[in-house]
Amino acid sequence: MNLPSISKTAASVASQPYSSSNSSCHLLSIEQESRLCFRLRARIAYATLCTMLAGSRLRLCLVVVLSAVFWGSLYALFVEAFTFLNVLHAEIVGVMFNAFFSSLMIMLVFSTGILIYGGMYCTPEARMFMTLPIRSEAIFSHKFQESLWFSSWGFILLGSPMLVAYGVVRESPWTYFCLLLPFMISFVVIPATVGSILCMAMVAWLPRLRMHAISIGLTATCIGGLWMTWSTLSSVRLDSLSPVWFEQTFNRLAMTEQKLFPSWWLSCGLIESARVGKTPGESFESFLESLKFLSVLVANGLLLQLLAGCLARHAYRLGFSQLAGEVPARRQRPIGWFDQMLTNAGSSASKPLRLLIVKDLRLFRRDISQWSQFVIFFGLLGLYFLNVRSFHYNTTYASLIGFLNLAVVGLILSTFTTRFVFPMISLEGRRFWILGLLPVHRDSIVWSKFLFSFLGGIFPCCGLVLLSDVMLGIDTRGILIHELCCVMLCMGLSGIAVGLGARMPDLRESSPSKIAAGFGGTLSLVVSSLFIMVVVIVAALPTHLFLFTHAFGQGASESAGFLLWAGSTSGVATSMGLVIFVSLVATCVPLAFGLRSFRRLEP
Amino acid sequence: MIEFDHVTRTYGPKTAVADVSLAIPRGELFALLGPNGAGKTTTIRMLVGLLRPSRGTVRVSGFDMVKDPRNAHLHIGYVPDEPCLYDKLTGREFLWFIADMFGLPRHLATQRIATEIDHFELSEFADDLAESYSLGMKQRLVFAASLLHDPDVLVLDEPMVGLDPRSVRIVKDLLKARTQEGMTVFMSTHTLAMAEEMADRVGIMVRGQLRFLGTVSELRDQMALETTSLEQLYLELTSPRSQRAP
Repeated sequence: MNLPSISKTAASVASQPYSSSNSSCHLLSIEQESRLCFRLRARIAYATLCTMLAGSRLRLCLVVVLSAVFWGSLYALFVEAFTFLNVLHAEIVGVMFNAFFSSLMIMLVFSTGILIYGGMYCTPEARMFMTLPIRSEAIFSHKFQESLWFSSWGFILLGSPMLVAYGVVRESPWTYFCLLLPFMISFVVIPATVGSILCMAMVAWLPRLRMHAISIGLTATCIGGLWMTWSTLSSVRLDSLSPVWFEQTFNRLAMTEQKLFPSWWLSCGLIESARVGKTPGESFESFLESLKFLSVLVANGLLLQLLAGCLARHAYRLGFSQLAGEVPARRQRPIGWFDQMLTNAGSSASKPLRLLIVKDLRLFRRDISQWSQFVIFFGLLGLYFLNVRSFHYNTTYASLIGFLNLAVVGLILSTFTTRFVFPMISLEGRRFWILGLLPVHRDSIVWSKFLFSFLGGIFPCCGLVLLSDVMLGIDTRGILIHELCCVMLCMGLSGIAVGLGARMPDLRESSPSKIAAGFGGTLSLVVSSLFIMVVVIVAALPTHLFLFTHAFGQGASESAGFLLWAGSTSGVATSMGLVIFVSLVATCVPLAFGLRSFRRLEP
Repeated sequence: MIEFDHVTRTYGPKTAVADVSLAIPRGELFALLGPNGAGKTTTIRMLVGLLRPSRGTVRVSGFDMVKDPRNAHLHIGYVPDEPCLYDKLTGREFLWFIADMFGLPRHLATQRIATEIDHFELSEFADDLAESYSLGMKQRLVFAASLLHDPDVLVLDEPMVGLDPRSVRIVKDLLKARTQEGMTVFMSTHTLAMAEEMADRVGIMVRGQLRFLGTVSELRDQMALETTSLEQLYLELTSPRSQRAP
């Protein structure tokens, strides 16, 4: 009965002409557009902070505390390192800075390029901006600031303790600390802008070659990095950390000291800024010299920004249109046989479970963000493990390094289980209208995730641990202990991620990264880290007590009897039993909670 | 107001829109119909500047969408099929952002935001963060945003998706009122009943080509069918049998 009146009201309101016609709108100046985008970002940041303070205090506290601990630990480490270098090899700081900043520069080019690609061409926000009367260069500037932040916050977190420690050890003047931030910001802008320019140019003019160009660039960079690492480490097997080793390493790293590289300007600027002269005049001269380098960085950054803005004006809309017009390649199924084999292997009763695993496997294979990170992180670990032999550790240290490597493998796996496995149940919850109607028990969904994670993690992790042990020359008993711990870690981490994921699903969120970043994801990461610590300490303690007892003599401690028992077969067996028990608890308890919760889930 | 001049758009070897020429005058409500994959979305994306034509030109209020997109956008309001909002902005903040982006003076923006909030009955949730909105609420907010600058041309891509019957009625009444005031509406829809009820003219696209352009009664005459329903005429025109005919 209400309807006619609503309609009448709406029609009458709509028919009222606005007090002013369309001529009341006008195009904004570039400054106004930039201010508007800045206000937008500030508003969103404020709202995000308020939401976090209201709903995710634990996460926020954890992030702040862990960041502070991380920063403090790095600072202490760098203070020690610079104190050591200050005494022995003060001149190598320049080489070190150059190597560090030039590597960072290359990484920033790629990471910002990729982030700009995602932000400017693939987001709903970019599509919305394209339909508004805003300049392309303003859109670029808006997205560039966002990408710059995401690509370089790691540098700020990692670089700031290093540079502050350097200044403290060198007893630098206060001007050094004041110039740190301007130096860092002006530096990161240069590679980030280069990455953005390359990205925009490739999308606009080399759309078909985009993937090839990125692949070739990344491959060339990786090969270069591998070659440098290999040549640096392989040559020092006989005289590691000796003066000859240092000299050879410096010679190899000298290639990063190119005077046309922004990394060189930054290194020289920082070193000059930190220098304390014998007289106030000398100190002032160093200060002026550092300002010169800062000016070079700022000038180049601004010039590149101008070029990028100009390029955006001409290429952004063209590139956007080119990209939207691309025909996706028809998907090939080169390993369909593997899926088929997995589907048909085993009894028909467990077929639904296998089908769910095969589905997750396909999704994983087709999501480049998942497997590429997997390959990069485990690839880097593999590279490191291949080179651990270079340092000729003795038995005690080899065993210690072996356990530390085990812990590193576990920690890397825990980041993957938190980032990719934890959100899986939440994402299934969103597709519950499909799974809920299938003749599949709900438990099968949870178990399929667990098996997918466990089996997917066990092969690369055990392979890496084996590689590490072989390179360190660890005996068979040690290898078996490490492998058993690795299997337990894979099982426990999978149980924690899947169990907590099912216990605390976020059914409203469609982004896996946002699900992982929530309270449940943070809790999963913390619990996983604690679990790894417990497993590695329980497994490592008996072995090392035994080794230290032998190393320092049986009379070195009053508790030598206990230490000997701890290092004996029964001691090791007890510790392994404890590891298995802890792992079973870490697997079963979260899974039990998760299964119970998932059975009652009402999407 | 809207001109498509021999517009063609290709995706690799596939032609999504083939040599479409179309002029829609001021004050007309035009409905673009067609089966899935016919080229409707591509046409709309070219009209709002998300895609560039491979050949031909698209003009809005006399401005070429490729050469002068900013001025063209000043005259367009666009309601996409999937509304894009900032989760961490409230509805009112989003409306302010859009009003500012179109350079509306402060006093006018205040007045129009209040008017559109009233039109689309947004007042209950206008100050909540958009992350808490339902699809229908988001769609209503995007409608309000698209009308803030009183555009000459309103482009709607499946406008009624997610709207409840009450909101549909509000939108229909608004569209009628605005077209009477001189606004041109270009609408892509699968809801034939709405097209029949609202549109001054319809265009039917099949495989990238504009197979029919005119009023529903002209379509009826052209098809020489007894039926009076647009649905029957549409199905006849887009059936595979009809597509094979020269």
